[in-house]
Amino acid sequence: MNLTRSAQRFLANNLTLEDALPTRLPVYVSSVAYLFGVTALSAIGVLVLTGVTMSLFGPEWYHGGQAPGSGVGRFVNSMHFWSAQLLFFALFAHIVTKYAIAAWRDGRWKTWMVGVLALGAAIFTGLTGFLAQTNWDSQWIAVQAKDAMNAIGIGAFFNTMNTGQVLTLHVVALPLLLGLLVGIHLFFIRRDGPVKPFDARQQDEQAN
Amino acid sequence: MSKRTEEYFKNVPMKSYDLLREGLIVLALATVIVVVLAAVFRSPDYPTVRGEDVANLQPIAFLQTSADILAGNHGVQDYGPPYTSDTENAQSLFGVKPADWFGVTTPVDPAEDLVLKPLRRVALLNSGVANALQEYEAANPDQQQAWATAYLDGLDQATEESGKVSVPSGDYGPVAAMMNGMLALGQAGLLEGAIESGNQLPYSLNYTKSLLFFQDDVDAAVAEKLDMKGDQWGVSNETGRFPGAWWLWPYAFLYQIPPMSSSPNADLQAIAIAFAAFLLLFLIPLIPIIRALPRYLGIHRLIWRDWYRRGGSRHSQSP
Repeated sequence: MNLTRSAQRFLANNLTLEDALPTRLPVYVSSVAYLFGVTALSAIGVLVLTGVTMSLFGPEWYHGGQAPGSGVGRFVNSMHFWSAQLLFFALFAHIVTKYAIAAWRDGRWKTWMVGVLALGAAIFTGLTGFLAQTNWDSQWIAVQAKDAMNAIGIGAFFNTMNTGQVLTLHVVALPLLLGLLVGIHLFFIRRDGPVKPFDARQQDEQAN
Repeated sequence: MSKRTEEYFKNVPMKSYDLLREGLIVLALATVIVVVLAAVFRSPDYPTVRGEDVANLQPIAFLQTSADILAGNHGVQDYGPPYTSDTENAQSLFGVKPADWFGVTTPVDPAEDLVLKPLRRVALLNSGVANALQEYEAANPDQQQAWATAYLDGLDQATEESGKVSVPSGDYGPVAAMMNGMLALGQAGLLEGAIESGNQLPYSLNYTKSLLFFQDDVDAAVAEKLDMKGDQWGVSNETGRFPGAWWLWPYAFLYQIPPMSSSPNADLQAIAIAFAAFLLLFLIPLIPIIRALPRYLGIHRLIWRDWYRRGGSRHSQSP
């Protein structure tokens, strides 16, 4: 079995260059509602950029430290905070509009389901972000959220008050999980293209 | 275009499109929005509640917290897994207690870990505290409890002046000297350092026990002032006027209604409902009524208004 040939065949059948980077789109894709997904992706881009910048200098740089340049660090931290707000705004607008057009039709249920999983990963990543702030919010949320985690048994593995674990989860494990889910979600989107309007589908069915 | 997309869009008129251009424009706009919001509003950064602050600013509250822990009144005292081995207080739903499944993974003995161990460090520097600690540890548990309880009662009538607390005389045994030792430890800013005594020092990244010290009354009092308690939708609030985790509003709402609003199993009940709701969202494409609803809601007519204005399905027949 030639793995490379199989991969070529898979891509030819599922994701050509025109699918991955389209230069043509159906005319019905003509609404601001189609921009919430790319807005969420852009917010993730800013989150990654600011997050990586903060990781280069460490927590004292972006939270209350006296280190040189900590003013810049706080600003980058503020950008990270507002990108998270933008991400969730875009995500919820994205879900609502995709529900409104029943975007799971014509075999796109996997796109919807992976997207919902990505939302769950984003919420959990956000929680660890609040816990990793090393300020009062983190302190209060840590002692409060622990009860919920403990109640469902997760507390045995995830300690909201363990700063080291919270930080590594937030900067490595959860972003990787979120990135993987978003990647799969995007693969399905690019492979299948935007779902047809309700009547277009009926028209096709009548034509067939 | 792959065979499957070519087949799907066979009768659909297409238009020119530039994915990368659109992506870069939206990214630039998103960056501008974020930069402006960060520059104008900055971000929340309310300082932590530290032992030093509480001991100096609210010494009676500090002593009450320390004596409460010593008397066995800390919230973690009979908490169950993952902190203590007693399992009867673990949250339960239909008789199922997930908290008990994995046992004690983060052992915490509040009186020992949060008060007696730190006091043993103070005792190395203060003979008065050393003698008091020796007397306390030599006494039987009933006597220890009686001293601590009496001291807590005495604290109700305590007065404070310039950081010094005067407690009316009473039968406190060595507890009064021990608590003065705790207060001195706190006022010196050494509480957290004395509590965290793991083998990983000076590289500890886990301050679980220090965070637990004030979790009951002191943290709750601060949270109440900042509108962050559970009954104030706290999980979704931030300090000041900043938006918090507003996406958790539906989850926070569950704590405001019965039975969660007064149940000892509120967390487990709320998470079970939230998980069911998440599962529902996940399975929407497979649930008959909910998946059919969008067609009748009519919001799609707004999103595809250009398409419908041009004739909808008739449009797709045009070349």
